[in-house]
Amino acid sequence: MADAFSETDPQTNTGLLTDRNVRLAGQVVAVVFAAAVLYLLYRIASLVDLGLLETIFPRFVDAYLLVLFIFVVGGVLSVILGVFVGLGRISRSTLTRGVTVGYVEFFRGTPLLFQLIVIYYGIPTLFGGPDFPIQNWEIPAAILGLTLNHGAYIGEAIRGGINSVPDGQMEAARSLGMSYIGAMREVVLPQAWRNALPAMGNDQVILIKDTSLLTVIAVPELLSQFRDVYSTTFDPWTPILLVAVAYLCLTLPLSYVVTYFERRASPGGDNE
Amino acid sequence: MDGTSRRTYLKGTAAGAATLGLAGCLGFGGSGEDTIQIGSDIPYPPFEYREADGTLVGFDVDIAAAVFGEQLEMTPEFNQTAFDGIISALNNGNFRVIMSAMTINDTRAEKVDFSDPYFTAYQTIVVPQNSDVTTKEDLRGATIGVQKGTTGSTAAAELKEEFGGDLDIKQYDLIADAFNAILNNQVDAIINDNTVNAQYISQNEDQLRFVEGDGAAVEQGKNAPPYLTLTVEEYGIAFRQDDDDLREQVNEALATIRENGTYDEIYNEYFEG
Repeated sequence: MADAFSETDPQTNTGLLTDRNVRLAGQVVAVVFAAAVLYLLYRIASLVDLGLLETIFPRFVDAYLLVLFIFVVGGVLSVILGVFVGLGRISRSTLTRGVTVGYVEFFRGTPLLFQLIVIYYGIPTLFGGPDFPIQNWEIPAAILGLTLNHGAYIGEAIRGGINSVPDGQMEAARSLGMSYIGAMREVVLPQAWRNALPAMGNDQVILIKDTSLLTVIAVPELLSQFRDVYSTTFDPWTPILLVAVAYLCLTLPLSYVVTYFERRASPGGDNE
Repeated sequence: MDGTSRRTYLKGTAAGAATLGLAGCLGFGGSGEDTIQIGSDIPYPPFEYREADGTLVGFDVDIAAAVFGEQLEMTPEFNQTAFDGIISALNNGNFRVIMSAMTINDTRAEKVDFSDPYFTAYQTIVVPQNSDVTTKEDLRGATIGVQKGTTGSTAAAELKEEFGGDLDIKQYDLIADAFNAILNNQVDAIINDNTVNAQYISQNEDQLRFVEGDGAAVEQGKNAPPYLTLTVEEYGIAFRQDDDDLREQVNEALATIRENGTYDEIYNEYFEG
């Protein structure tokens, strides 16, 4: 490291770029940053209208619960779908592999916003238009879109997890007389799961944040509530505060859950 | 990598960033004195929408050409903006005025100044042709589609209050999305400005219709359209609150085009026959 930064002999460490100065500079930047954030928060706090906060709070609770519901259903379905997609990606059948690759490339290669619009505005016209049987289609459409999109990402995480299990594991299991499927299920997948967990956890956090796109298909989620309140009151900070708190109340517990699963899955971890 | 190359790279990046920043400034300064930037939520037919080839047309567009173009000798230039953030965008300086079929009301008037009214509109209800809804009361428990941030959305919220909360409201980004939703059985009705509704109904006559009856327009003694009106509203051009000179010029220009027949010509082009 040192030789990349210091102009002179790395060992003498003279001039301005001493270890101590760099450390100090880092701390100064951190303090300035923290002070700026605190100042902004102070300014924001003085703008928050407590009366309005109380009036709009119930709507944001409803929106929070709706986002939580969509996340839980979409998250579970996308993980289940992702396991099959991951297995399809490493299938020895060219047909299965080809179809899976096509699916993954499409859903990773087009924006989620586009996919949501296709599903919400496009699908009903394929099945009856005015006679389309499902009336509150935005919720199923949202879950379908998030599941299909994140299923592709989870599938890639699972494939990476499986590929990072050494070939010897499969070979050893097969030499003990286990079938390919049996070895995959009992030996390879549990280890692949552990390897894939960090990437999957990341993806689920992104899934929560992606629910903000649902505002364009008329799902009354958090950003939708913000836009509604803001366009009538012209007070941005009161609803922004609620939106920020609501998202953090979703993502922070999720990070905790992911850490718990990672610890549980690691060898020698708490296997309760 | 040695120290020199990293340093050079950093300097290069800084220079690049500086150039981009400069280009950005020049870009913003590009519009001349005689161009007037207008913020508008497009599409909102028949007030502002694009024909298939991309040409921007509509009542607001023609009024802008008459007021700013002919009377004030400026070149009007429309900027597409989402309606729910349009007032903030005006006050943040993204454009000089708003012409977006904007209803004059008290909450908006606290943030912007309006020109004299240039159009009268009514909030009306659109339902599918085969719907059972014939009166306002029939909407109890129904799902209503509206556009975010519009007076139609406010009218729907008031109706919900009147029904004691027994009304579902779905809010769409564009009015076109709401009409798409009613054609796909996602909402039972749409509450929106009468002229825009009339335009969509004329394009889908066998699928959509107005809810008919008397309403706010009749109560206020206005020359009411034949369908149920929830509210009577007037459209104005919105200005920043420190822009009084331009606002007065525009009011004069609006009066002039009403006198010399230009206004009626434009009105008849979009709303008669």
